Amino acid sequence: MSIDALRAVRAFLPDAELIDDPGARDELRAGAYDEQPQVVYTPCLEESTLRAHRVPGDPTVGFAAFLDGIQRVHIVSHLHGVPIIEGIVAAVVRVRVNRRFVTWGHRTPIVHRRLYVPFSFLPEPPPARVHGFDVVDTSSDAGEPIVLSRHPAALRATAFDRIGRDRERAEREMAELWCHSSDGDPIYIDGSISGQGRAAMAPCAVGVVKSHTKLYADDRALDVVMTLRRGERTSVFELRSSTRPTVMSWYLRLRDPRGHDAMFGLVRVEVTLDTRDVTRRADEVSRWVLAEASPIALPDGRWDRMAYGIRDCEEFLRAIAS
Amino acid sequence: MSDDTTESDVSLLGDARKPLGRVVATERKPNTPHEFHFWTALESPVGIGTIVRVDGRQPVNGQIPRIYGVVVEGFGYTDLVSPLHDVLSHDGQPASAGFASSDRAEIRLYTAAVLRQIPEEPLQPVPMGDVYLALAEDVNVALRMDGYLREGESTGIPIGVYRAGGTDATIYLDADFLVGPEAAHLNITGVSGLATKTSAVEWLLASLFQHFPATHGSIAAVCFNVKGPDLCFLDQPGKLDEGDLRLYQQMGVPAEPFRDVQYYAPYRARGYSLNTLRSNEALSANVSPLTWGLREVLQFAEVLLNRDDIDAKADALIDFITRNVLDQQFTDSMLQRTHVVQSFADLEDWFKDVLHGLEHGNKESWRTHHVATIRKVRNRLSNIAVRCAGLVTDNGPVSDLPFGAFQDRATYVIDVANLEEDAQDLVFARVVSKLREHLERRDLGVRHVVVFVDELNKYAPGDAPDTYVRKMLLDIAERGRYLGLVLFSAQQFRSQVHRRVVGNSGTSVFGRMDADELATPGYSVLSPAIRTKLATLEKGQLMIRHPHFTQPIFVRFPRPAVMTGRTGAEQYPQAGELGLEESVYRSLRRLDPSITLNQVQDAVGIHEERDILRACTLTQQERPSDVLGAFRRHLPRLVGGSLPKPQRAVPALSVLRGDDPYGS
Repeated sequence: MSIDALRAVRAFLPDAELIDDPGARDELRAGAYDEQPQVVYTPCLEESTLRAHRVPGDPTVGFAAFLDGIQRVHIVSHLHGVPIIEGIVAAVVRVRVNRRFVTWGHRTPIVHRRLYVPFSFLPEPPPARVHGFDVVDTSSDAGEPIVLSRHPAALRATAFDRIGRDRERAEREMAELWCHSSDGDPIYIDGSISGQGRAAMAPCAVGVVKSHTKLYADDRALDVVMTLRRGERTSVFELRSSTRPTVMSWYLRLRDPRGHDAMFGLVRVEVTLDTRDVTRRADEVSRWVLAEASPIALPDGRWDRMAYGIRDCEEFLRAIAS
Repeated sequence: MSDDTTESDVSLLGDARKPLGRVVATERKPNTPHEFHFWTALESPVGIGTIVRVDGRQPVNGQIPRIYGVVVEGFGYTDLVSPLHDVLSHDGQPASAGFASSDRAEIRLYTAAVLRQIPEEPLQPVPMGDVYLALAEDVNVALRMDGYLREGESTGIPIGVYRAGGTDATIYLDADFLVGPEAAHLNITGVSGLATKTSAVEWLLASLFQHFPATHGSIAAVCFNVKGPDLCFLDQPGKLDEGDLRLYQQMGVPAEPFRDVQYYAPYRARGYSLNTLRSNEALSANVSPLTWGLREVLQFAEVLLNRDDIDAKADALIDFITRNVLDQQFTDSMLQRTHVVQSFADLEDWFKDVLHGLEHGNKESWRTHHVATIRKVRNRLSNIAVRCAGLVTDNGPVSDLPFGAFQDRATYVIDVANLEEDAQDLVFARVVSKLREHLERRDLGVRHVVVFVDELNKYAPGDAPDTYVRKMLLDIAERGRYLGLVLFSAQQFRSQVHRRVVGNSGTSVFGRMDADELATPGYSVLSPAIRTKLATLEKGQLMIRHPHFTQPIFVRFPRPAVMTGRTGAEQYPQAGELGLEESVYRSLRRLDPSITLNQVQDAVGIHEERDILRACTLTQQERPSDVLGAFRRHLPRLVGGSLPKPQRAVPALSVLRGDDPYGS
């Protein structure tokens, strides 16, 4: 929590109760609060049923850059239980130069510091910007009022969801800019690309999903996913959505899962839909992703699935968005 | 661009004008007024010993603070928490690490000790700011050299060149703090065998002679050559490479050997030839004998006599002899004759007469001196000529340094390398005492004298019984600067030299050091990185501590422009032991090359050996136009200098007659 945020709250809510030790909550995934584990059937694109394939050839360095975003949330104060939340979202592209990472010079990192407040529960609406903070109304969306529960936990969840969407927006902005300006050099995007706007349709964008709350396999196909061995991938399947571009995806095991959880080293790769020579494309991208398994991303707890380049992005963002 | 910057450095200097680092401070590693931390890019030219400049951002009393520091420690690390993580990264196969797609994030973090803060008040912790490589003008300010390098009144003595990145700055010592009167003396430490200590002193003397300000008066050097041929070829040119020549040019010192060098060495025990490695005939023109008689030695008898000998009674007798007997007519009712004691031989005669008188008169004491004391002093003093044979003559002439006629920028080398320890002590004690006497009276010929003594571990140890030489070195170190008597000293182990000798050295120089020596408490003020650098310092590099520098500075210096001892010994091999006539012939031929060995042999004739040597030495001192004539003149006349008259033939009593063989 920053002193600036406290000053800002004091400026428009002098009666708000400041929270001495709100604790810092780093939430790195959007929608992490309400998503329920589920298994989803998806049609297989590469062949009739989902099978395991050994990725041919040695891992190959293919990614020129890595993209990731973070969000930081602090509950700064409350007014009769209505939470006033400081949210910081940031996104960056780090390019690899001589095996080391530097910030992409074309676009400085995006860093937004905002206060998330449900205006409808305040005595009067605060100004749009206070002490360098944009103030976001969580009781409306795109200018339309939304009905909110007065329950503080519900208000918090709404704010967290809004912060997550802001982070996604920052990532999408970065991804689109890369795909537009980088001569098609492949970029490793942390998470799904289907929400990355035009980047979801760019051949250079590769999304790597580490969390598997939603598993795109059912029945026997799930057995195939869970029993993948190191260096193996599943057949390519198609992810369709009414609100997002269709992408093709597959599971890939980065590390030997023996002695670990079934999800150990398991990632799901997403690329733009291109039905021409799906196998060749999946193998090529898999080799790129496998090459990023070293160096290891320890001490991050998700090291078995996280690329070192993504860890570098996160460390960078933590340093500048603290 | 500074004058000290070469054209080739332009590109590097271009970088030097950009920040190469940023100051950082954390709660665990805070900045203080004397230390700060900064990080740099991995490829930055910063290293241990690099001088940097910090430009602050917030003005203090209306002035943007500028801080100068020298890097004393460096850290490098990655985001790796445990080495095991790297093992896991590469499946335990080091070879596969080369195929990793990326290198870990890595930091170069440096700690710098503050050299100077501007403004100097208020003294505050070093602020956050950009860090720049110090340019030549920054180095001047950082080391406070700007205070004594003012145009027209500079007292700077170049000691070496500081190099880092594109910066190439000459480092100057302040003559007022090297030779006095503010501070004085220089001590150099380094391991043996790397030619650092002697080379550094030779280079510094050359620089001192060239740059010592005329306003400060004249200066000369007296060097004691205590081992090998180290200082025996100071007047011969040495080999220099282009790098050395550039350094000489940059520092404004002519790359040439010393112009005015005089060598002094005692004779060998037999007294025929000089006891020095510089005995090759080709180099003998400026080599003179160093011989002392009774008068010169008696004043320093304490040096040669151990403390058990010199009790109060013996000391009183020696004092009596010095004041009442030496160099004057001495008569006493008990003595058989009047004595004029001018040599050890005269003294021996005097002792014999005294003891004879005591025995004859059946007395136990004479003039309050007990007969046992007289016998003991006689025994010890008579022994000196034997123990210091070659240096101390029994009754020969004295040949000494030109006290009173020292020349400006001249070097006087006294070769004591082959002398016994007693004799070395005597030489040190007497020469330094004489220098001090003359400097006190301002009649030495020069206003300042640098005395160079190597092997202080031997001559001024910290934990050995007190000796006359150590007392004398302490005296120079503590009081010499007021007189213009400056000690340049060297040793291998600074920690084992008397603390007051090294402690009074205003300037300390360090070459490559032994790791054991660096582990002693005296070096704990240096950071581990500085100690490591000292232990691995290459030839031609030195670390300097000087009163104006708040932190040690690393510099490069050129090889001295003089022939090394080893090369000299090979090029000018030592002359073999000569016979008496050959030795005299060589000595005289230096004064008159037309002299032949036959002429010398004719002149020597049947004279006594000691008379011949005496005549030779007197002739050398006199340097007459008629060398051979002078030599003959100094030889004593032979007793009965005329040939016996031819005897008249005595006729036989009778002449044999005719054929009668039996006579009549």
